Amino acid sequence: MPDAAAIAAPVRRPGMRFVVRLESLAVLAVLVIVLAVLSPYFLSVSNFLNILLATSVIGVLAYGATFVIAAAGIDLSLGSVLGLSGVVGALSVNELGLPWPFGILACLATGALCGTVNGLLNARAGIPAFIVTLGMLGVARGLGLVLTNGVPVYGLDPVLVYIGQGRPAGVPFPVIVFLLTGGVAHFVLAYTRFGKYALVIGDNEGAARAMGVRVQRQRVALYALSGMMAGLAGLLFMARTNAGDPTGGLNYELTAITATILGGTNLFGGRATIFGTLIGALIMGVLQNGLNLLAVSSFYQQMAIGAVLVLAVWLDQVNRTRARR
Amino acid sequence: MTRRMLAACAAAALLAFGHGAPARAADAPVYGVLLKTLSNPFWGAMEKGIRDGAKEAGVEYFMQAVESDQAAEPQLNTCNTMLERKPAVMITAAINSTILLPCLKRANEMGMPVVDLDANLDHAIAAKAGVKIAFTIGSDNVAAGKQGANWLVQKLGAGAKGSVLVIEGLAGNITGQKRASGFRDELAKAAPGLKIAASLPGDWDRQKAANIANDIMTRNPDLVAIFCANDTMALGAVESVFAAGKGGKITIIGVDGNSDAVKSIKAGRLDASVAQLPYLVGKEAVEKAKEVLAGKQQSEYTYVPTLVLTKQVLTENKDPLLQYMR
Repeated sequence: MPDAAAIAAPVRRPGMRFVVRLESLAVLAVLVIVLAVLSPYFLSVSNFLNILLATSVIGVLAYGATFVIAAAGIDLSLGSVLGLSGVVGALSVNELGLPWPFGILACLATGALCGTVNGLLNARAGIPAFIVTLGMLGVARGLGLVLTNGVPVYGLDPVLVYIGQGRPAGVPFPVIVFLLTGGVAHFVLAYTRFGKYALVIGDNEGAARAMGVRVQRQRVALYALSGMMAGLAGLLFMARTNAGDPTGGLNYELTAITATILGGTNLFGGRATIFGTLIGALIMGVLQNGLNLLAVSSFYQQMAIGAVLVLAVWLDQVNRTRARR
Repeated sequence: MTRRMLAACAAAALLAFGHGAPARAADAPVYGVLLKTLSNPFWGAMEKGIRDGAKEAGVEYFMQAVESDQAAEPQLNTCNTMLERKPAVMITAAINSTILLPCLKRANEMGMPVVDLDANLDHAIAAKAGVKIAFTIGSDNVAAGKQGANWLVQKLGAGAKGSVLVIEGLAGNITGQKRASGFRDELAKAAPGLKIAASLPGDWDRQKAANIANDIMTRNPDLVAIFCANDTMALGAVESVFAAGKGGKITIIGVDGNSDAVKSIKAGRLDASVAQLPYLVGKEAVEKAKEVLAGKQQSEYTYVPTLVLTKQVLTENKDPLLQYMR
């Protein structure tokens, strides 16, 4: 049996693992230049930290989405799981009186648990991922509302608040988490057997099976990981807002998937990088920030993000068609 | 290829941004205004008030809002971004009482007074988070409920007897609670013969309010009035009442004074709506913020009056507050 990992890498040239789809970087660069020209407030360290801070929660969520999409899956429950995780984390500290480390643990565990359920229902019971995670979207959101009776759990332990609002060395804590997690996730997806298997499954599930990849088990693990990322995003969200908010993260799954696609990940699996997703999330963050600085109505902001998404993917298609010729 | 690609991106980006570039003097003080969402007539009217208030006060402002009144985290991000432009004052309508606090704390630290539009912040919670609110301006929801009760008693008489239904807002929502409790407390004082048959959450939802009205009409045939914590629900209740053939026999009161309610009142279906005047709130907020910047201390809360709209008030068109209806 051939070594799956050797075949796995969807990499055409050495070094490609680091290189993001050129179009994504180009879009980001153009955005930054245009905004720097249009707004005198754009180019400053504090504004860039704002952008990173505003992107942190979505970014971490998008990492989770990337792993699942890499293996040709989809996770629509990310936003709801984010909300539920924050609620459970806040309740475990505020209501059960557990010390703050358990609050962190509760967020991550809730996310991972939801993800595992998604994975088992998808891989073992054979229900399509779209349906399983759509179901989880409803169940997790509803459970969060039930647990809190619809009212946010306000006022967290100071340590938890620091995770969301603290600024060690002037850098917002969520930004540190966002970038560090990105580094680790990039390594896992691009360099470990786990990540390579995910990409092989996404590229060709039958081939992956033939190579001896245990597809079902791998799937469960991927959804669990994506759920845990949603839990981490839930922790950041909770800490930033100093509350376990049952409505937190509404529709975030779509934003996270958008960031993933903007970063060059193929929606149908087989091609994905976390670094690309980070760039994708930043494109959305920069765009939103810039439009805010220019005081453009939020209605136009949604149009702009939609347009940039289609533009980036279109440029990618054009280049791919060319490359094949 | 790359060059053409960049050109395409640049063109798209310019298209997207073209109209947004602000035109203003470089160092005039600018007020930052952060609303919830503009896709709601209430905030639209508030925006008009702010615009006219700023024009009259001769100040510049820039306004931001988010895509929905649920988008809490995006609002915090927007708030942080606004601070980059270093506005002279931050006038905010927070999506909930806690979300903006980290940003407003920074605003305070940068020397900006913080104004709370429509009483979305809690002064005690804000103080705990290190935020000093210069003043809160908005409608007094308890008073709006009371006004509704007093109008009802005036219509039916202090000796009236019968059951009254109260339809509250979203369960746990403070605005709906204040309106409902203001109504209930005042009614108990002004007309002891009118008993509250039920006080149920209608979740701001037309359909749900219609169902509640139906159920209670069945249970309490002596129902004489329905008070709803907003107009949307009142309009739902109206439909049930007329469908049950009790139109004109049961008095229905809403709160907000939105345009659909005005139409319904003119058509003789809805009896009254306690109108809020978001236009006036926005206008006065800017005026008072200017005074704060000039060093004047404002009282912690300023309440803009509410107005009971009825068919008579609307047709006579004499009440001076009507000019602020938008």
